[in-house]
Amino acid sequence: MSKHAEFNITPEEQAENEAFLRGREVAGERYIKRHSKQARWTHGITVSCCMWLMFSGAFVFVPPLAAMVGPDVVFAFRMSHRILGVVFVLVPIISAIMAPAGVKHIIHNNICHWTEDDKKWMILFLPYLFLAKWIHMPDQDEQKSGQRVADGALWISGIIMGITGVLLLLNSTILPMGTGAHSWLLFFHDLFFCIMLIFALAHIFLGAGIFQPYRGMWKVMWKDGLISESDALYHWGHWARDVLKTDNGVIRKKDDEK
Amino acid sequence: MTEMAILFDSSRCTGCRGCQVACKCWNDLPSEPTAENPYDSVNWDGKFTHPADLNSCTRLIMTFEDFEDERSQKRVGWAFGRRACQHCTNAGCVNMCPAGALYKDEETGMVTYDQDKCIGCQNCSAACPYDVPRYEDRGGKTVINKCSGCVDRIAQGMMPACVTTCQPGALQFGTREEMIALANERLQLLRDRGYEDACIYGENEMDGLHVIQVLKHGMKPHGAVENPQIPPAAFLSGIMKPVTAVGAGATVLGLAAMFGLAAGYKRDTLVYNDGNGDTISLETGEVTKQGNGPDERTVMEAITENLPIGKKGGDDHE
Repeated sequence: MSKHAEFNITPEEQAENEAFLRGREVAGERYIKRHSKQARWTHGITVSCCMWLMFSGAFVFVPPLAAMVGPDVVFAFRMSHRILGVVFVLVPIISAIMAPAGVKHIIHNNICHWTEDDKKWMILFLPYLFLAKWIHMPDQDEQKSGQRVADGALWISGIIMGITGVLLLLNSTILPMGTGAHSWLLFFHDLFFCIMLIFALAHIFLGAGIFQPYRGMWKVMWKDGLISESDALYHWGHWARDVLKTDNGVIRKKDDEK
Repeated sequence: MTEMAILFDSSRCTGCRGCQVACKCWNDLPSEPTAENPYDSVNWDGKFTHPADLNSCTRLIMTFEDFEDERSQKRVGWAFGRRACQHCTNAGCVNMCPAGALYKDEETGMVTYDQDKCIGCQNCSAACPYDVPRYEDRGGKTVINKCSGCVDRIAQGMMPACVTTCQPGALQFGTREEMIALANERLQLLRDRGYEDACIYGENEMDGLHVIQVLKHGMKPHGAVENPQIPPAAFLSGIMKPVTAVGAGATVLGLAAMFGLAAGYKRDTLVYNDGNGDTISLETGEVTKQGNGPDERTVMEAITENLPIGKKGGDDHE
């Protein structure tokens, strides 16, 4: 048990906690609804497109890959890159139009005021990644400060990749903009591909639960959108306690329902 | 390899466009569709250059620039220019081509290409300071079309098609060294005749071109690009490949280290008693936090409080 967790517990408090734990066994484990079905579908389609865009784009970006598979395969990849690129751009736009409140919520979560816990979490994040067994991170609200940085980078990269991609497509088809525009568009497409690749690797490492302390996190976006009480308390402690207190969006599952 | 070059002497050129025709004939390129013909187009700029620019089926054009010339009886001077691939030594297009379709011919140094390898990305156009690469539609697939340097002819002991047909001898072909020497001789002659603006183009540009030009009236009238450079964005794009490789590699290594260091770690299951605000470890039954207040530890305390340094055994808050 860590030092910060050593508290003076009164006998009454202890009794309350024991009663709570007994009640919990009867009622079942609590889960919090974190992502809506629409958010999960939008994420799923966008991620699938993004993965293919990165894969197919790599054959234009890395000459040995192109040489390995030959020009016809690369041409087919390029055409699929164009089609899925359009899907990658359109799906989030359509989803945003369908749920403007959700967009507002996401923007608010990403640009909200940073508390002392947020700043401390960000400072501790790098040491934590290497010393996760020993460092206990400060509690966080609905969006961790690190998530705001990483998600922000992915959002901005995705938007710029989308814009430059569409302009590159137009430039080579119906709206030639000249070689100067082409070269700058290509550079920004490449630059933000680099940024997106690095943040996407980190995002997959954490979000898919490859990192031990994040085990099971994939379910939140790829299964039912629910997060267990324990995981919610570990990752977003302040938010989890607020939600559990109101009981809004909280469901209970017994062992046979999990 | 012997560096070869085409010499274009503008002071000998008569503007007959025979070189354009020879290029089309040898390379089996069709005439421009009417829509691209400047004489029939609303975009005609009033000049005799025809077609107005390089296009998907025209790899070489002669440019015509008229100017006021006091030496001429009619006070009109003509500057003929050769617009086609310059076959740079520092060829940005070759570096930019992801498919290896563009390459430098090992025998001559000419920048040539294999259309069958072209993937139609058009990245080469972004790296060319002369705006040369054009693209033709091959059954739905776009492929590059530009001057190939006639490396196929050269390999058979012939000269480039354009050179072969040049009746006044404005085009010559040989080793780059010889062509530069001939250009210098011709430059001296022009200077002696009072053409003070005459110059040689291609000796040093882009680390040396494989088309050497004697420009009788200076660079501008003949359409030469002064101080050509690979566009900065194309240069930066070239850097992005190694930067991305290093960035992605370092990230993967870092993540692998994190994975290894966290292996075997199992967190306590936490539950929250919303009645009294206690967060409880299900495994130990101990309270890990009271209420929902901010973390009161310093950063250093948060890092060091559980580290197994100087302690007997570990204390990993499991």
